[in-house]
Amino acid sequence: MGAFAAVLRKDLRLEIRSGRSTIALFALSLLIMVVLVFALNPQPIDRARDAAAALWVALVFAGMLGATRSMIAENENGCMSALTLSPIDPAALYGAKLAAAFAFMAIVEIAAVGLITLFFNLDFGADLARLAPSLMFGTLGFAALATLLAAISSRTRAGDLLLPILAIPLFIPAIIAGVKASEAALSGFPLAAASQWLGILAAFDVLFITLGALLFEHVIRED
Amino acid sequence: MARPAVETRALVKTFGVVPVLRDINLQISEGRCALLTGGNGSGKSTLLRIIAGLSQPTSGDAIVFGASSRNLGVVRRRIGMLTHQSWLYPNLTARENLTFYAELYGMPHGDGLAEKWIAAVGLAAANDRVREFSRGMEQRLSIARAMMMAPDLLLLDEPFAALDPDAVAMVADLIRSAIARGCTALLTAHSQLDLGIEIDRYQIVNGRVVPFRDETRAPQRSRIGA
Repeated sequence: MGAFAAVLRKDLRLEIRSGRSTIALFALSLLIMVVLVFALNPQPIDRARDAAAALWVALVFAGMLGATRSMIAENENGCMSALTLSPIDPAALYGAKLAAAFAFMAIVEIAAVGLITLFFNLDFGADLARLAPSLMFGTLGFAALATLLAAISSRTRAGDLLLPILAIPLFIPAIIAGVKASEAALSGFPLAAASQWLGILAAFDVLFITLGALLFEHVIRED
Repeated sequence: MARPAVETRALVKTFGVVPVLRDINLQISEGRCALLTGGNGSGKSTLLRIIAGLSQPTSGDAIVFGASSRNLGVVRRRIGMLTHQSWLYPNLTARENLTFYAELYGMPHGDGLAEKWIAAVGLAAANDRVREFSRGMEQRLSIARAMMMAPDLLLLDEPFAALDPDAVAMVADLIRSAIARGCTALLTAHSQLDLGIEIDRYQIVNGRVVPFRDETRAPQRSRIGA
């Protein structure tokens, strides 16, 4: 637990100090919203669907950027080797990197929710609060997957290209579930109406976190 | 006779089809200091990384305190390592870097330990970020990082690189102190060193580790510190 907390604290400290990831993620979300608003020209009847789609596009791209930044910091001076040699359990190391990525993404999502409210002319209120479960499950699952895959891609020359190619196909079922659950929330349906989609998201969370905890040790090892 | 701290058995490492290390059979007893010399690209750093479990041998094995380097387990915490990369976070200060590593290793009073080792390597810029450090300052801090957990095995890849004469003497003193408390050390260098202690000397020739012989090549030893 001490080593987990040490890595998480260090990642948060580095991010607070530089602010690079959070600012970049926020800027990316803003750009995605602007592009989608002009591309979709949302009509009142489709507003919830379009807003949910825009939110998840922002979540996926911001998540990839966030997870990559976190791993680049570890590879900068070979620090990943130091972590590999240290007594920290690889699963705990994965957990700490996942928690940091989740925290960065959550901050950006709060801002992204504010942006979709403005760009898609949504009401501030209970509908937005009902978004919380789908966003929380979705963020956790995507952070879990992206952290694992970023550990692989950050060690390759074409890492920035490799991550979306690996991550998006694996996350498509969760994206579909997340968009459906978010659309239900923004349309004013009760939480129970989206329970099956939330169940799918939760299942993906369990799957990706378990895979990450089991595989991270092999992913960070050299040849 | 002391037990071996490090033992390699028919160790081979190839990168693609290029053999770097061939049939390495090396044994370093506990409490000894060994020096491995060789030219650029001779495989010194690769051998150290394999012993630390950071790289896998193509065939053969490296045994560290009885554990295979393929799965060192709890033996990992007994190893302190210095590489060409500093393993330091540029956006953290010197103190924050060492405190982080102390916490990672579960050391109590990490802040105090960091303070002690910053003083031990003669760094005055404890609160400066590492990205502002010169290469020599970074090397001093890396040595502190490698030694602060009082490891039983020190793997030091060119520990005197980029250091000024005062720092060289200081680091040599730290290595002597570590050996005096029973630590085993494997150092690499391009040429022979004299630390003022008994050293088992090896060299890498054509991918093979052989005992260093004075008649093979005239040693260019420089007496360090003491």
